[in-house]
Amino acid sequence: MIKTEATMSNIIEVENFTRRYGDFTAVDDISFTVPEGSLFGFLGPNGAGKTTTINTLCTILGINSGTMRINGHDVDRERNLVRKDIGIVFQESTLDGKLTVAENLKYHCEFYQVERNIIAERVDSVLDLVELQEWRDTPVSGLSGGMKRRVEIARGLVHVPKVLFLDEPTAGLDPQARSAVWTYIRRVQEEQGVTVFLTTHYMDEAEICSNVAIMSKGRIAASGSPSELEERFAKSVLELETTEPERVFDYLTGEGILFDVERGRFRINAGKTATELDILGLFRNSILSFSTDRGTLDEVFLAIAEGEAM
Amino acid sequence: MRGLFAVFSRNIVNFFRDRLRVIFSLVMSLFFMFVFSFVMKGSMSGIAQPMAYLVAGIVIMTVFQQALNNSTEILNDLSSGFMKEIIVSPIPRWQISLGQILSATAIACIQGSIILIMGFFIGLRVSAAGLFGTFGIMIVAGVAFSSLGLYLATVSRNSSTFQIAVSVVAMPLTFLSGAYIPSTVLPHFLAPIVYLNPLTHITAIFRYVALGLYSSPVSALVKEGIAFDANGFIITPIISFGFIVLFGLAFFLLSLRKFTSADFSSVKAAMARHRH
Repeated sequence: MIKTEATMSNIIEVENFTRRYGDFTAVDDISFTVPEGSLFGFLGPNGAGKTTTINTLCTILGINSGTMRINGHDVDRERNLVRKDIGIVFQESTLDGKLTVAENLKYHCEFYQVERNIIAERVDSVLDLVELQEWRDTPVSGLSGGMKRRVEIARGLVHVPKVLFLDEPTAGLDPQARSAVWTYIRRVQEEQGVTVFLTTHYMDEAEICSNVAIMSKGRIAASGSPSELEERFAKSVLELETTEPERVFDYLTGEGILFDVERGRFRINAGKTATELDILGLFRNSILSFSTDRGTLDEVFLAIAEGEAM
Repeated sequence: MRGLFAVFSRNIVNFFRDRLRVIFSLVMSLFFMFVFSFVMKGSMSGIAQPMAYLVAGIVIMTVFQQALNNSTEILNDLSSGFMKEIIVSPIPRWQISLGQILSATAIACIQGSIILIMGFFIGLRVSAAGLFGTFGIMIVAGVAFSSLGLYLATVSRNSSTFQIAVSVVAMPLTFLSGAYIPSTVLPHFLAPIVYLNPLTHITAIFRYVALGLYSSPVSALVKEGIAFDANGFIITPIISFGFIVLFGLAFFLLSLRKFTSADFSSVKAAMARHRH
């Protein structure tokens, strides 16, 4: 098969994808690509169309219009080829509670036609990855929510997929379990070289993604690396203390830059890193101390949501 | 075919993991055997081997109930989410549905056989050839009613009241089948229901084979409620068997078709509601 350069580097390609439920358009003409080996975050509030998109990529839902390709295979027409290339961790548990951890993994290997002689080895290696080796013979119903999620991650990987999809992998978990799940997700991406595609509405979690797309009302409102988005949308704040407050005051007023003063410290809403550097350069000899608050994806998210509302 | 076998094996393992459920389903059959054996002793006019007659009826009703219950287990797999794991795997849908039907059939036949073995202790005698035949008919019954169950479950999908509805319908039909109380003692106005009831026919052919009544005259069979006189037309056990085969085949094909094209993604909404 001849592959173009684009399909070599992008493991997922979505073009003009639209999904309707009756009159309601859940996803409206979105396009994006996911580079191979990346950790891609698909963000947005509830009802933005994230789950519809991920379910369509996972071959559960049909496509109304547009195309989706995973590893060069058409998601709608080559479902079984796509299914072998992907691992899925759904929002809700899809484990068989009566079976043990190892049995769940072994049956998964059977469903995905993993060669018989390597099943035991694969099950061992994914159990090591999520550190559940000592729980292998425990019925799944006896595990905590966080451990179940880890079993699901292990199961999603046991057939060695190209892409691992995780729909809200940390929803409903306590902070400790959340951080454990994140450790394994990063391990999967960094050590196993698997492309990870996840949805979340915890913006702090999305910071570690290599790329994110923010969905709002069925459309992609913004996409890029988290730092790019923060630069573009978040209000970063420069705080500084100076020996020449009057000069700084005049400069900022003259440039029309928003700021306020609190107990002798300036809080400047510069907006862009370049502007902040200008200010720091200009007053370098009179600055006593300064700090910058970079802004977070949370702010990006709110900025986009507010923009949509206006 | 590996997918089919995996679905089959998982269902069997899952069923026998729940020891309490296995025991309860058997206790139910044994309870019926105990209670109706008193009825039999009292009202058995014209039935030559009353205990064997009763045991045969209970065996085939056990097969029926287990086949129906276990094929509708997919509703539990849908609500627990496990069905999603299977649906998104590369296993073809027809193998999934066939795996469901065959596993429900196997469980039903195992349960039926346990009752059959217990029957040997209370007077059931089956020849070697008859034993072969009884297993054959148990398998036919298992496939037919598992297909029916899978079809109904696939059509209804996320209804949690569905399983109750099924047992509400199945209960009167089992009593009108002649399995526990011979259909000959039922009031005449129920005759049309009795004749149309597939359970009547599976019970009739099963008794015919299990009791080895091949040489009995038709009039004797009618008297025992194993053949039926529908206004002069005699429904022999062979016709009953044909009816069951057609009934089973129809639902087998219907359930495969329905399951293969079913959209299980809509089940998610119900599950989300259940979760919160």
